[in-house]
Amino acid sequence: MSALLTIRNLTAGYGGASALDGVSLTVAAGETVALLGANGAGKSTLLKALLGLVPARGDLRFDGADLGPLATEARVRRGIGYVPEGRRVFPGMSVRDNLEVAGLSAARDRARDVERVFALFPDLALKSGESAWRLSGGQQQMLSLGRALMGRPRLLLLDEPSLGLSPKLADEVFSAVGRIAAAGTAVLLAEQSAARALAVAPRAVLLRLGRVVGDGPVASLSEEVLRGAFFGG
Amino acid sequence: MAAFQLLVNGVALGAAYALVALGFVLVLNATSAVNFAQGDLVMAGGLLAVALAPLIPLPGIVLLPVVLVLMAGLGLLLALAAYLPLRRRPPVSVFISTIAVGIILQNGAAILFGPEPRAAPPLFGDDTLHIGGLAIPEQSLAIVAVAGLLIGVQQWVFARTQLGRRLRATAQDPEMARACGVPVTAMILVTFAIGAACAGAAGLLLANRYFVTPTSGGDLILKAYIAVTVGGWGSVPGAVVGALLIALFEVGVSSVLSYPMALGALYLTLLAILVLRPQGLFGEAVRRRG
Repeated sequence: MSALLTIRNLTAGYGGASALDGVSLTVAAGETVALLGANGAGKSTLLKALLGLVPARGDLRFDGADLGPLATEARVRRGIGYVPEGRRVFPGMSVRDNLEVAGLSAARDRARDVERVFALFPDLALKSGESAWRLSGGQQQMLSLGRALMGRPRLLLLDEPSLGLSPKLADEVFSAVGRIAAAGTAVLLAEQSAARALAVAPRAVLLRLGRVVGDGPVASLSEEVLRGAFFGG
Repeated sequence: MAAFQLLVNGVALGAAYALVALGFVLVLNATSAVNFAQGDLVMAGGLLAVALAPLIPLPGIVLLPVVLVLMAGLGLLLALAAYLPLRRRPPVSVFISTIAVGIILQNGAAILFGPEPRAAPPLFGDDTLHIGGLAIPEQSLAIVAVAGLLIGVQQWVFARTQLGRRLRATAQDPEMARACGVPVTAMILVTFAIGAACAGAAGLLLANRYFVTPTSGGDLILKAYIAVTVGGWGSVPGAVVGALLIALFEVGVSSVLSYPMALGALYLTLLAILVLRPQGLFGEAVRRRG
């Protein structure tokens, strides 16, 4: 498979503190990759750096194009969708408006994309006119996922989608992620729950203290390496 | 009868204040910055109408689109000069830079127009309509109609168009808006343009009945600030309702006492609201849910 996303020697951080230190990895078109590691390993920073939401240095290429000089919105328009940690829906806007605002195509195509999202998440269709802040946590997570799909991304960045959800809701969200991946969208999934992530991702990248400490098919990663990413040693 | 006439006058004044407050709150929401030049933009709109009147010797309603466009341009300049270069600095930087822009506008207006009060042409005519014993100035009705139309158009754009959704998303969470592909900087520029256009329209509407001087903006920014505080900091409907309430209060109290007494009473009422209901009338209507 050809690489859709190539990251070489990425360094990023906040203020003077470095959160990523020389990270390199690739994601192929249509591939689902789990990004695993403990709190503070740099998973969220890596996703934000890919979107240009934190200052970063290094070589970032998406479908062959250099992402470095591009603003966040331009990166999104190239085909990168983002589901942030904590959902961050637009609380004062309706469910439909939350979706529409992220649509990058003309009005008619946008309406079709909204219907596609409603087909994927029927709960949202029932709440179409309600303000997003009225939704439950699980519904907000689905809205956040649906919103990211409105840009018709080729690569979806998911940051801790199960965080704060009940096991049942987390299952529903991961089931949707599985369907999105099966439809051919590449997914880079940052997740603390390794079991859930590895259930949908055939490959995992392990981060520890801002460095890649393991990268390969899930079957090839030993339990020792996995434990090391989460607990050190 | 007298009460109804006062009501018409109060609503007309309130409609113009509502435009000022609306422009103020839109910029506040989009940038978290207080635009202290908003009152001086109202003054600039009024004097712009005064300057255009001899060039376009037609009713004020014909001048309105010209004033809207030119003031939107001034709003863009304000954003480019006083907001964008300072957006990553502490909020006090924008606070001071907009005060500086206001002072520049005041002094520029004083040089160009002098300190005398000026009047813009009426929107349609300056007759008084006599309806069943009531004497209602045409200009008051025109102010209500035009301000109502402009506020309605603004609400429609924000509620029903993709531009409006993007402006609202930018106001609610600019970083997330970027992550949804929204060109946030462009939206902020558009917001400043709309805010200044609202101020310019208010200037044209007010400058006929209430005259305009280079220093008249100071009073108006206070009114906008109070309207937004009374309505609920950041609430768009609250700003409009707050502006109407202020004007009705001002007209009502000054008809019984005097204008200075009405202003004093207004500030006392504001203090009472801040103590009893600090979130304002429409505050905290929007909450996050985990």
